[in-house]
Amino acid sequence: MLRKLTALLEKIVSPFGRLYHLIFRAMYRIERYSLGLAFAIIIVGGIGGAVEIAPLFTINETVEDAPDMRVYTPLEQAGRDIYLREGCYTCHSQMIRTLKDEVDRYGAYSLAVESKYDHPMLWGSKRTGPDLARLGGKYSDDWHVAHLRNPRDVEPASIMPAYRWMEGREVELADLPARLATLRDVGVPYTDAQIENAVRDARGQATPDGPDAEGVVERYGEATNVRNFDGEGGGPTEMDALVAYLQVLGTLVDPATIAAAQAQVGSKGE
Amino acid sequence: MVAALTVGTRVLALVILGIGAIVGLAMAVAGAGQAFGVHGWIVLIYCLVIAWRVMLQLDAPEPSPSRLRSYYDDPIKMGVVLTMAWAIVGMGFGVWVAYLLAYPDLRYDAAWTGFGRLRPVHTTGIIFGFGGTALITTSFHVMQRTSRARLAGEFTPWFVLLGYQLFVILAISGYLMGINQSKEYAEAEWYADLWLLVVWITYFTLYIRTLARRAEPHIYVANWYYLSFILIVGVLHIFNNVALPVSWSGSRSYILWSGVQDAMMQWWYGHNAVAFFLTSGFLGMLYYYLPKRAARPIYSYRLSILSFWGITFFYVWVGSHHLHYTALPQWVQTLGMTFSIMLLVPSWATAANALLTLNGAWHKVRDDATLRFMMVAAIFYGMATFEGSFLAIRGVNALSHYTDWTIAHVHVGTLGWNAILIFGAIYALVPVIWRRERMWSPRLVEWHFWLAVAGTVIYVFSMWNSGILQGLMWRTYNDAGTLQYSFIDTVMAMHPYYMGRAVGGTIYMIGMLIGCVNIWMTIRKAPEAGYLRDMPKTPAGDADDRRVPAE
Amino acid sequence: MDVSHDTLVVIAKTVGLFLLIAMFLAAVVYAFWPSKKAKFDRAARSVLDDEDGPCR
Repeated sequence: MLRKLTALLEKIVSPFGRLYHLIFRAMYRIERYSLGLAFAIIIVGGIGGAVEIAPLFTINETVEDAPDMRVYTPLEQAGRDIYLREGCYTCHSQMIRTLKDEVDRYGAYSLAVESKYDHPMLWGSKRTGPDLARLGGKYSDDWHVAHLRNPRDVEPASIMPAYRWMEGREVELADLPARLATLRDVGVPYTDAQIENAVRDARGQATPDGPDAEGVVERYGEATNVRNFDGEGGGPTEMDALVAYLQVLGTLVDPATIAAAQAQVGSKGE
Repeated sequence: MVAALTVGTRVLALVILGIGAIVGLAMAVAGAGQAFGVHGWIVLIYCLVIAWRVMLQLDAPEPSPSRLRSYYDDPIKMGVVLTMAWAIVGMGFGVWVAYLLAYPDLRYDAAWTGFGRLRPVHTTGIIFGFGGTALITTSFHVMQRTSRARLAGEFTPWFVLLGYQLFVILAISGYLMGINQSKEYAEAEWYADLWLLVVWITYFTLYIRTLARRAEPHIYVANWYYLSFILIVGVLHIFNNVALPVSWSGSRSYILWSGVQDAMMQWWYGHNAVAFFLTSGFLGMLYYYLPKRAARPIYSYRLSILSFWGITFFYVWVGSHHLHYTALPQWVQTLGMTFSIMLLVPSWATAANALLTLNGAWHKVRDDATLRFMMVAAIFYGMATFEGSFLAIRGVNALSHYTDWTIAHVHVGTLGWNAILIFGAIYALVPVIWRRERMWSPRLVEWHFWLAVAGTVIYVFSMWNSGILQGLMWRTYNDAGTLQYSFIDTVMAMHPYYMGRAVGGTIYMIGMLIGCVNIWMTIRKAPEAGYLRDMPKTPAGDADDRRVPAE
Repeated sequence: MDVSHDTLVVIAKTVGLFLLIAMFLAAVVYAFWPSKKAKFDRAARSVLDDEDGPCR
């Protein structure tokens, strides 16, 4: 059958020979020279990427406005780096889709602007565990620490790994100014003061009654969580940093702004 | 193997290895006390071990110039062994993480045994270690045979093969030590990415230079697929991994992209890794080893060309179907969905082309497990591409996304299509390269075949069940209009399926280990083929010696 | 870039459509070009006896 179809196609195509002479010559060259073939592959393969990705950088509709959005504090960024290091994205997404059950389960659906400062984004692809996009403030610090120490102490059926080895481990602070500066280079608007005081702010955020706590609020806003996250004395631990990060998830943008943006999308009829 | 290189090449190898060792030492010193420093030591030791192997035979006599008239198969031999070694590592970690999801405490109380660190070891070990090494190895074989030409150069193939191994070693050891940039399927950090780029460009030049030596002006279609694999993966790798290191003496870097742009870049990369690594390259493998083993030309060569341009064009668009109902603009989601569905046409044309090639040779499929591996791979390819297009539909994706259905789909592809095709290709390749009459034990090939099929089916059915169940439970409402199940309810419901998955994976792994034994024994024990091949034909002709009689 | 979203849409729906059709036709014509039949058949058979060389 297919062979007959082939013969038929041949018959149909052959009278148009002259018309396609040019194309044919080009194709012949392409096939004749392997570099020509390579070039053709890049062109044909490149179209899709260019058409889909390039406009995302220019069209202003891609990312909503959120003038009150703040950047991660140094301690939160350190926690985020731990989240990256441990590969938490393999089981937890940070992207609430525009579906009723997800909004009911996790909260208002995620906006593009909320991950504007996320290098890389952590939208994830798998929910072996629940979505974390709006985890911040849902549980107490104590709950988080106990849960990370051994998830089965808090939820007997959990299959999450226990991170008790993380307790009491001092978080790496020395290169925080360099990290924030690098993030500024890729587009996160950290100020000079924030970069200079990164180490002090990281300590200050985990030591509410210490001398550096005030500076954190001054540089990152009133709403910043300044607490002793892990409940232990001493310098900030990895547990402090990770919990600080988890507690800020989904709260960087004011809920009123989120609601307003979503109402606007709704009025456009999606 | 070293003795077959010229003295000049041996010296060149030592120089390059020396430079590598110095770089490794510099990394070790600069990153002392951190994981980055450990990577320096790994680079240093890797270079020194290979240099030591070269040194042992530095004084061996020059090889005979007549070797230049034969194919260069030494790197292929090494590649086959390395491929199977990666299979053991990748599948071993895969089985471990499968059991971890059923029994979360089946681990040491140490950082490196967390699921989040082990899972990338499994994915990278399988995709890049096992799959990538198999692709490089078979491409060395296919490019020489289809071009009727020797590999261009004796140093470059080794540089590509062994340099690539170093990349995978750095990537995997990095995850275990906590070096992970958290971009799925591209977790390796900036210096490993840069190194892969060097290796990859060398690989491309090697391919082009070998093709340039070919006798026939037409390039056989398998090479088209391999070329598109090398090229597009190179482009994807560069764009997805543009990152700024925090310091030159540490592993941490931040990716240039953020938020929605990063998401699109990630899944443009992520899905095209599937498209060009796990499809295009493997189609190159299929278009060579299947006709070769069946001793029949491909059913329609023209269809293979059409499918080639179809796959190359369509696939690049579909990545956004990973982001349905997210904050990605809807028009991009719709594009991804539309192209995903259109992609089914060239995909099924390809699968049909492969199966129709076997028309008239079904008795061979019945008798020859090696050919059956390839046939089943083509069937799984057809299934996986159909499922892929189906899951890309927004409405279906609403249910399937984030669940184990995705995992089922991926493993139809990787277990059923990629790995089974690799095994088929290797069983076809090993006797040819080592000049054996056949594999050591055809019965063990048969055993491997059935274990692989059984393992895949058990695995996939477990994950289909768990995925669909999980998706449905997440969206079930009770009469009061609130959600019926808490998240932990759905986790508990998964337990039996996670057990089933682990069992399926174990069966698959046993089959693979049997394959390793068989390959090893073929190299050591199988009877040698009683005729000379791989040398230019004499004018008198010795056409009778052909391994596969033309029909 | 000053190109508006609407302009892009218009381009995609006019020029883009015909460009894609042309690319498709080019691939079809190439694959089914009558005089190439012999060459493709030869290529398809070429893999069956490559183990003997000739090698260069």
